[in-house]
Amino acid sequence: MKKIVALLLTLSLILSLGMLAGCTTTGGGDETDGTDGTSGGSSGTTSVGNFDIPEEGYDGSEVTITFYHTMGSNLSTVLDLYIEEFNEMYPNIHIEHEQVGSYDDVRDQIKTELTVGNQPNIAYCYPDHVAMYNLAQAVVTLDDFISSEIEVTHADGTTEILGLTDEQIDDFIEGYYAEGAQYGDGLMYTLPLSKSTEVLYYNKTFFDENNLTVPTTWEEMEDLCAAIKAIDPNCIPLGYDSEANWFITMCEQYGSDYTSATGDHYLFSNDTNKAFVKTFREWYQKGYVTTQTLYGSYTSGLFTATDGTTSYMSIGSSAGATHQRPTANSDGTYPFEVGIATIPQVDADNPKVISQGPSLCIFQSDDPQEVVASWLFVKYLTTTVEFQAEFSMVSGYVPVIKSVEDNETYAAFLASADGGNNISALSAKVCLEQEEAYYTSPAFDGSSTARDQVGSLLAAALSADDGGDVDALIDKLFAAAIEECEYHS
Amino acid sequence: MANNESMKTMHDRDMQRVSVQSRIMKWVVKFFTYAFLLIMALIVLFPFYWMIISSLKSLDEYRWSVPSFWPQTVMLSNYVDAFTEANLGRLFLNTLYVGVVSTALSLVVTVLSAFAFARLEFKGKDLMFGALLATMMIPGELFTITNYATVTQLGWNNTFYALIFPFLVSVFYIYLLRQNFMQIPNELYLAAKVDGTSDLKYLWKVMIPLALPTLISITILKMMGSWNSYIWPRLVANDEAHRMVTNGLRNAFTATTGDVNYPVQMAAVAIVSAPLFLVFIFLRKYIMAGVSRSGIKG
Amino acid sequence: MVDSKQQWKAWLYLLPAIVLLLVFTVWPIINTVRMAFLENYRGLEATAGATFSFGIGNFVKVMQYSKFLTCLKNTVLLCVLTVPLSTILALLIAVALNSIKPLQKVLQTIFFLPYVTNSIAIGMVFAAMFNIVGSFFSTENEIIVTAGIINNVIEFFGGEHINWINAGSSYWANMTVMVVYIVWNALPFKILVLLGGLQNISTQYYDAAKVDGTPRRRVFTRITVPLLSPMITYVVITGFIGGFKEYTSIVGIFGETMGPPDDAGRLNTMVGFIYDALASSSEGRASAAALILFAIILVVTMINMQVSKRSVHF
Repeated sequence: MKKIVALLLTLSLILSLGMLAGCTTTGGGDETDGTDGTSGGSSGTTSVGNFDIPEEGYDGSEVTITFYHTMGSNLSTVLDLYIEEFNEMYPNIHIEHEQVGSYDDVRDQIKTELTVGNQPNIAYCYPDHVAMYNLAQAVVTLDDFISSEIEVTHADGTTEILGLTDEQIDDFIEGYYAEGAQYGDGLMYTLPLSKSTEVLYYNKTFFDENNLTVPTTWEEMEDLCAAIKAIDPNCIPLGYDSEANWFITMCEQYGSDYTSATGDHYLFSNDTNKAFVKTFREWYQKGYVTTQTLYGSYTSGLFTATDGTTSYMSIGSSAGATHQRPTANSDGTYPFEVGIATIPQVDADNPKVISQGPSLCIFQSDDPQEVVASWLFVKYLTTTVEFQAEFSMVSGYVPVIKSVEDNETYAAFLASADGGNNISALSAKVCLEQEEAYYTSPAFDGSSTARDQVGSLLAAALSADDGGDVDALIDKLFAAAIEECEYHS
Repeated sequence: MANNESMKTMHDRDMQRVSVQSRIMKWVVKFFTYAFLLIMALIVLFPFYWMIISSLKSLDEYRWSVPSFWPQTVMLSNYVDAFTEANLGRLFLNTLYVGVVSTALSLVVTVLSAFAFARLEFKGKDLMFGALLATMMIPGELFTITNYATVTQLGWNNTFYALIFPFLVSVFYIYLLRQNFMQIPNELYLAAKVDGTSDLKYLWKVMIPLALPTLISITILKMMGSWNSYIWPRLVANDEAHRMVTNGLRNAFTATTGDVNYPVQMAAVAIVSAPLFLVFIFLRKYIMAGVSRSGIKG
Repeated sequence: MVDSKQQWKAWLYLLPAIVLLLVFTVWPIINTVRMAFLENYRGLEATAGATFSFGIGNFVKVMQYSKFLTCLKNTVLLCVLTVPLSTILALLIAVALNSIKPLQKVLQTIFFLPYVTNSIAIGMVFAAMFNIVGSFFSTENEIIVTAGIINNVIEFFGGEHINWINAGSSYWANMTVMVVYIVWNALPFKILVLLGGLQNISTQYYDAAKVDGTPRRRVFTRITVPLLSPMITYVVITGFIGGFKEYTSIVGIFGETMGPPDDAGRLNTMVGFIYDALASSSEGRASAAALILFAIILVVTMINMQVSKRSVHF
């Protein structure tokens, strides 16, 4: 009994202390400059940047810039090389870069560091992360930098303008560049560093043997799956890595609503979307398609299998091309040749493919010179042809600027493309050929929830028991996904 | 006489039968004990085996749909990869320093507190102990942000202090040791008091030797904790001079796409764990059956 | 008994622990309570200078969550199922380990191995053991690439394979896997603690029992268990506290979706819920959920203590 009383006393003590602390915070007058941006950075409608560039631009002072990324050792080596080059122009800007872990690790680390103002200067980011950092109004908007005409001087006396020239802006692949301004207020928050997309991998050897053509639309895909199933009844014709990407891409291809960065965020529960979900459920029930979670293992493992059950097509990240290649025979040849194509479309004349991969954002700092120096480095990485070329060749991602294709080494790399040893080059080639097709979806506080929810929704809709009424099941799943989204926002 | 004789032999035979029976029983018990332990051991061993073979697979093979039970090609290069990325010597030294210092300090704090709770009488003892237990009930992840702010305010970022002090006191261990101390009969303590032995002397001469197995368990757990902690050290000590071994090795874990390269990660874990395993082999005899208790009255 | 000298001495012994706990545990808890009572508190917005009014909105919001009861049910169920099971199993292993001579060293070493086995590896093993790789289960197109080791064993003995964790699996199949996994995970620590406790039981008790010819089972129930009861209490209480915080083990088997693909979130727990809120920087909501969880654990722990007080030997 004594212990119970003791515990209750402690509990109430802690509770009352906590309330006291709570009261002092709310009552305190030290946070009263109630700016209108406090309700969440993304909802601001004012299209004014949040950083004033010093008049002299970069003044040549000694600054140290920290840069968080996810690069493994092979990529860090490339980065180090170009930091050296950068330092020839700006010897006083010291770049300290660090691999923090995975993308989520970078996000979590920065999220915590932001609360005490210890954030890095530059970070690898995804739009969802930036939407979160924007809650703290910590990401520097780039519009003023991009348009700045201020001249900055290199160590050797030559100069460049701080901003981007028109040629530089035009050089970016449009879909990638547009990603920086999808936060609902029209402002630029990020520049793309290196990108990937989804591509269709197919077993070229099998396709050639059976005179099959690579599908360009979903209708063709359905017929093809039926044909393949007839040839090899014990196969799963198509594997799709990510349900979330699939759902979002279909919205984009149909032109139907998914989410909006402003106003009512979650718009994905509509008839068009329900219709395609229902169609794909039929495909799944007929045994045409599976996804990574439903299959229970990597779909690339299914695609590259050489005995037993296999798939003949696989839709996955263009950066993972080497995973989609079967293990080489002992003589160095491959059991089959892999072909790569653009993913099927609703309308082959107006293709849409997702844009993924890291962008760079710059954080606020007490020292404006750090911010300006960070911008110079971000600009350097995103617009330097040689860096983009080398980084892409090592990583399997594609460059974000078009002029890289004219780079001799990179052109040679692309020319070597094949479905075996140089599969990364083949993947890059396909990505670059579809440069008009890239889209990005709106980013806001909660956009990652929407992404998770539509992914789960599709997985459940394909496989769940419908109890005889498919439409009821699909309605229920959409309603549940919307409810989760609304709750978490 | 003859009757007597036969009576005796019958009795002997009975005795014999009983002892045979009990011997059979003994063997049966022994058999089941071993069977039970061996089966459990196999179950426990399986993940370890899996960790080792995973660390020797190529990433492609790791991604196979039907997992292989032995790597097709043994990739010792995973270990090389895990090694080459980081300045391993420095990392091990840092980790060893943090591990040893925090374990030593933690033991002192834990022993003193557990002793107070187990043997001393003071006002508010139950309240204090209840409060301590209550702190275990809040998910620790909630502490991270506040503690990070505290450490920053103390100016402890990128110092060993930040790695050692915040998690020095573990209620978990205080509670464990208190329970262990309570196993030791109170009469011993009262007798010592009558003899005029000081508390600290009694603690050092009687309690600690008696609780040695538990103390060693705590040491191992605490060391493991320092060795494996990842999120906190990454937050508070990110520079080369203080980085811990898991943080350093983690660099080799992600492939270019940001995916985790599991085979290399497993290799890194195996490298990190090896020293601990050796430490355990060395300390095992203290945990098990090494301490003689014959001199102490129960 | 309580003399004033012992008073200040006791506090002196406790001082280092108290100071550190005040700074690094109590203060964060107070801060948690503060965040829980600030309407829609979000750490990142606070950084940007936002202010929040005082209120109980976070608690209301948490209670209103449609899956709150699911989380609570899973949490309690996992606790109630795993703690007794793992404790009994650990006790049997510890006693058995203590009673043998040959192979003792080897077996001890093996039972220590989980400590140096990475938790990701353990999760991977389980996924591989229970996971059916394939698709279209229970349709006419069903394809099974591999049914997993466990199902292979079941089929070897003539049984039907069971869909443990994949699309279409039942809640109780999921639960069974989770219970096995959690028990497995909890064993090594419990064995270590109980083994340490067994070492503290004087051999004289056993010698006396031997002389009396007391049967083994009686020795176990009359000597071992009572004398080990403080350690058993410890293992049970900390087991419950840990069990209520179950989260990572579920991620280990089911991934971030916290359930089979056709029913995401089915196995989510309270701490899983708190994690989600923290990941989106909704610290207010996370804190409120943590306090609710705290209240529940507190009640259970008090009951535990009352029960153990009555049955503990000392």
